[in-house]
Amino acid sequence: MLLASLKEVEFGYNDTPSLHNATIEVRSSEFVAVTGPNGASKTTLLKLMLGLLKPWKGSVHLAKKREDGRKLSVSYVPQQIAAFNGGFPSNVHEFVLSGCLSRGSWLRRLNDKDRELAERSLRQVGMWQLRERRIGELSGGQKQRICIARALAGRPDLLVMDEPTTGMDEESRKGFYELMRHMVDVHGMSIVMVTHGLEECRPYLHRIIELERKGEGGWKCCTTTLCSAHSAPAR
Amino acid sequence: MLHYDFMQRAFGAGALIAVVASVLGVYLMLRRQALMADMLSHVSLAGVAAGAFLGLSPTLSGFLTAIVGAVAVEYVRRVYKTYSEMSIAIIMVGGLSTAVVLMSLNKATSKSFTSYLFGSVVAVDTAQLVLMVIVTAAAALFFFFFRRPLYQMTFDEETAKVSGLPTGLISMLFSIVTGMIVAAAMPIVGVLLVSSLIILPAALAIRLTSRFSAALLLAVAIGLLGVGSGLTASYQLSTPPGGTIALVLLALLAVGVLLQKLVKFIRAKQKHDSAENTELHSYGPIPRLGDDSQTS
Repeated sequence: MLLASLKEVEFGYNDTPSLHNATIEVRSSEFVAVTGPNGASKTTLLKLMLGLLKPWKGSVHLAKKREDGRKLSVSYVPQQIAAFNGGFPSNVHEFVLSGCLSRGSWLRRLNDKDRELAERSLRQVGMWQLRERRIGELSGGQKQRICIARALAGRPDLLVMDEPTTGMDEESRKGFYELMRHMVDVHGMSIVMVTHGLEECRPYLHRIIELERKGEGGWKCCTTTLCSAHSAPAR
Repeated sequence: MLHYDFMQRAFGAGALIAVVASVLGVYLMLRRQALMADMLSHVSLAGVAAGAFLGLSPTLSGFLTAIVGAVAVEYVRRVYKTYSEMSIAIIMVGGLSTAVVLMSLNKATSKSFTSYLFGSVVAVDTAQLVLMVIVTAAAALFFFFFRRPLYQMTFDEETAKVSGLPTGLISMLFSIVTGMIVAAAMPIVGVLLVSSLIILPAALAIRLTSRFSAALLLAVAIGLLGVGSGLTASYQLSTPPGGTIALVLLALLAVGVLLQKLVKFIRAKQKHDSAENTELHSYGPIPRLGDDSQTS
């Protein structure tokens, strides 16, 4: 099923467009990486896809419902999310639990299933031991991980992440890619992430979307390379 | 002291506003909008002056102006995301200068101008008290039912929006509630000190606890303690209630921060002495899937 798509989208922050002719598609149960040099409008591409920015031209589609008719839930982990207000009075567990609200009505109460998912997500990113810590006291890499755990706790149908492995060591990055591929294969999640470490994560990906420089300065999108076309990842 | 009718009212009004203002303060601080309360009180003062000038109820016109001002601020915030301090300064000057000019044109009200500036909780009238009860009830309902969405939005508005929250609507309601609370709090501590009631309890509470709900409850407790003891002190010492309450809240903040630093220092020393660092050892990299069966 088609979850999100951009068709011939043009967008810019000032008078001249920085993104030309962007056409991408994201389907269910796909692990997609977005890559390109610095300043190639990768984050802009994600924000356009999520409806946080309105395109100048072209059309953007983000599915409202899943195939079974239930509400499609989406989670976003922005690049600077880990630079949050250090004084925020919340502990890790409470913070990750708040991610569960993206499932179902946003006024509902939290239940046992939510607590179970929050615990599992925290264990999956290796942060369960620090659940009682104040979120502002964590290191940059740890903050990044609890933000990912918060997104996972919502069991979104579409998970969009902007350079999620910033501040992670090599061992953690490998664990992270395996976890993401597991979410795609077992839970049917679709994952789109911006990354610079393409060589490392290529074995786990289904597709790569590459932003390329256009002749007169802007960026154009996108070359799509098929990686492992829904086969098991090479390990 | 409490056998005086006016003191009963003062304590009642103070307690009501202390509860909702303290909760509001926690959100305002974390949303980096601490100056918003100050600005809305200045705008509201212009409404009070306009009401008096036109022969309307100053309480009501001040209240409505604060809400209109809050809605306007929300729109400005959406358009100019980066210049919020500047727009706040401009709107504040506009409100205060309009109020001063309007008040001077109307000789009858200029007497009570200082009571608006510095508060006169012992002179709270029935209309103001009724307004406070309504505002407190509405704000309490809002803060209770929207506590989880507000938590999400206070942390990060973009991710909250993506996860499906109607952030525009909630943000607007939040602004309106802010305007209502500011207008209702004005008779207690006055325009110039409204933010003390809103910001000071929150400033201490968010330092002392690492749980969000605990921070909200703690802020309420600090607010109630500050208003209660401030009113008592002002009665005993015959000092102006608004200024006394603000001073007591400031003293609470200073003592609280000092105590927290002391406790932290002692704990760090103990930890260092016993070299207990179990927490650090039990935390490792993101586990590989082959390592355990936790992922399912």
